Amino acid sequence: MSLVHINIFLAFTVSLVGLLMYRSHLMSSLLCLEGMMLSLFVMATMTVLNTHFTLASMMPIILLVFAACEAALGLSLLVMVSNTYGVDHVQNLNLLQC
Amino acid sequence: MFSSLMLVSLLVLTLPIMSSIFNTYKNSTFPHHVKNTISYAFITSLIPTMMFIHSGQETIISNWHWMTMQTLKLSLSFKLDYFSMIFVPVALFVTWSIMEFSLWYMHSDPYITRFFKYLLTFLITMMILVTANNLFQLFIGWEGVGIMSFLLIGWWYGRTDANTAALQAILYNRIGDIGFIMAMAWFLFNTNTWDLQQIFMLDPNLTNLPLLGLLLAATGKSAQFGLHPWLPSAMEGPTPVSALLHSSTMVVAGVFLLIRFHPLMENNKTIQSLTLCLGAITTLFTAICALTQNDIKKIIAFSTSSQLGLMIVTIGINQPYLAFLHICTHAFFKAMLFMCSGSIIHSLNDEQDIRKMGGLFNAMPFTTTSLIIGSLALTGIPFLTGFYSKDLIIETANTSYTNAWALLMTLIATSLTAVYSTRIIFFALLGQPRFLPLTSINENNPFLINSIKRLLIGSIFAGFFISNNIYPTTVPEMTMPTYMKLTALAVTILGFTLALELSLMTHNLKLEHSTNVFKFSNLLGYYPTIMHRLPPLANLSMSQKSASLLLDSIWLENILPKSISQFQMKTSILISTQKGQIKLYFLSFLITLTLSMLLFNLHE
Repeated sequence: MSLVHINIFLAFTVSLVGLLMYRSHLMSSLLCLEGMMLSLFVMATMTVLNTHFTLASMMPIILLVFAACEAALGLSLLVMVSNTYGVDHVQNLNLLQC
Repeated sequence: MFSSLMLVSLLVLTLPIMSSIFNTYKNSTFPHHVKNTISYAFITSLIPTMMFIHSGQETIISNWHWMTMQTLKLSLSFKLDYFSMIFVPVALFVTWSIMEFSLWYMHSDPYITRFFKYLLTFLITMMILVTANNLFQLFIGWEGVGIMSFLLIGWWYGRTDANTAALQAILYNRIGDIGFIMAMAWFLFNTNTWDLQQIFMLDPNLTNLPLLGLLLAATGKSAQFGLHPWLPSAMEGPTPVSALLHSSTMVVAGVFLLIRFHPLMENNKTIQSLTLCLGAITTLFTAICALTQNDIKKIIAFSTSSQLGLMIVTIGINQPYLAFLHICTHAFFKAMLFMCSGSIIHSLNDEQDIRKMGGLFNAMPFTTTSLIIGSLALTGIPFLTGFYSKDLIIETANTSYTNAWALLMTLIATSLTAVYSTRIIFFALLGQPRFLPLTSINENNPFLINSIKRLLIGSIFAGFFISNNIYPTTVPEMTMPTYMKLTALAVTILGFTLALELSLMTHNLKLEHSTNVFKFSNLLGYYPTIMHRLPPLANLSMSQKSASLLLDSIWLENILPKSISQFQMKTSILISTQKGQIKLYFLSFLITLTLSMLLFNLHE
């Protein structure tokens, strides 16, 4: 595997670990999600461009669109939590109320 | 000569209205002008009537062509046949007397000139109605009398009761107008015209629908059962208005309409049976309601309603000419009864409750005389006016092949007529006075005396006079058993004696709590109580619920959005067992991922 690939793969892995292990703010988890999306996008675009697989050049763009949707969803969940508690500390989410 | 005289007579009536544009309106002699105009119109109209009686020749005057809509030609046409030629002098005579009476009655009213203008406009529209040859002109007259009735009932508009009564009259008449317009539409579709001649010539076969429409119109205008409450409420207007509109002239417009269409009705047995039953119900129901009323004008109003039911019964047994004769004779004594009650009311300082009258037999002899003669004529005592029409009707109903139940109702109502007439006479005239001692009883005014005197002579002689001078139309039944011939007289005398005995016996008894039958009769059969509250409430609440609740709140709000959110929340609460330890869950995910990648070496 070339160095570029390792670089981007490492970026992805760091973001994944950051998504799954965080201290208290939910916002940092969402930011790492965006980082994962970014590294995937770059990886996909580079692979498609290197192999001249033009038909698949839709894929990164569609990935971008769906990532935007899920970011909006994540942010709305954050806003809901923040409405109730004022901060988005994740240790507040131990009381389910509807 | 004949036709131009009739037109002159009708035109003379419109002169005071047109002169009101000039300054005679401000003059205090305008009412006298109006009264004189009507008397001249009456005398002028007698000439064509006598010519008509002599020759028996009917005329149609069709002068001004208004418009033609494709195949429908509308023009101003007057039909001067048997019905209109005899009705016009009678109506003008009665109106003349009422105008003279209202010169006395409304003497202190500041708007007396406007009152006379309204009465005259009413008379003109009534004349348009009876001389109309096409349905459009008849409808103009029909609506005109309705509007003038509204303006005149609400004459004292400061009184809320008067305003509601006027509105009630308009609403009930409107329901009848729906039937009229349906009939007009049917005639336009099926006979392509609104002219009476063409309709009768074409003689359509299935006339159920238009005749039902005309029956509904008559129910509304002539206060038959179902659309009757406006007539007693209309007594809120001044007494001349009650005498003119709601006894002689306007309320007979419905009956007149059915009489006009008698060539179509004589072929339709179904409509005849319907008419008969409707008239029988009306006459009995309103006679029952009249028995326990305490307002003298309301008793006479219910009496009018009962007599209208009798006229409708006569149409139902296929005797339009007898119904018409009853219209003409009824106008005389009913107007006189109203005028006598107006004289009593004014003399007792606007007292209308018969429980507070009494002993007027000696104090007001002329009014007493005319009231008693009017009541006797109403009940059909032999050889007074009412006898010539009412007795003939009862005889014909007895001897014809008709519904026995309707006949029984009519006979009972005839005896009840005598009962409530006796009640009026007993409470208002006989006994000791029950009014306040400081009275202003005065019937010496020449206007009052002359007008009642004219109608008095009419009440006694008009029946004889008219019956002997009209040409024979339908042949009355000549032979019948004696008991049948005397039925009307027998039930009337029964009613008189029963009422007199009961009144004398119970006159000084203690007041008991009212029985159920009494309450039924006094509250007009609960009909206004139920019908003025329940259907409007039901209609309005149904429309409100369907407009705002059904469409907006249920379909747009509740069906999809709110139901989805509710469902999700309930189910998620139900099946969720988590406690919200997110970091732990994420950590376990990471450890699983790392372990799987290390242990199983997936890329090799």
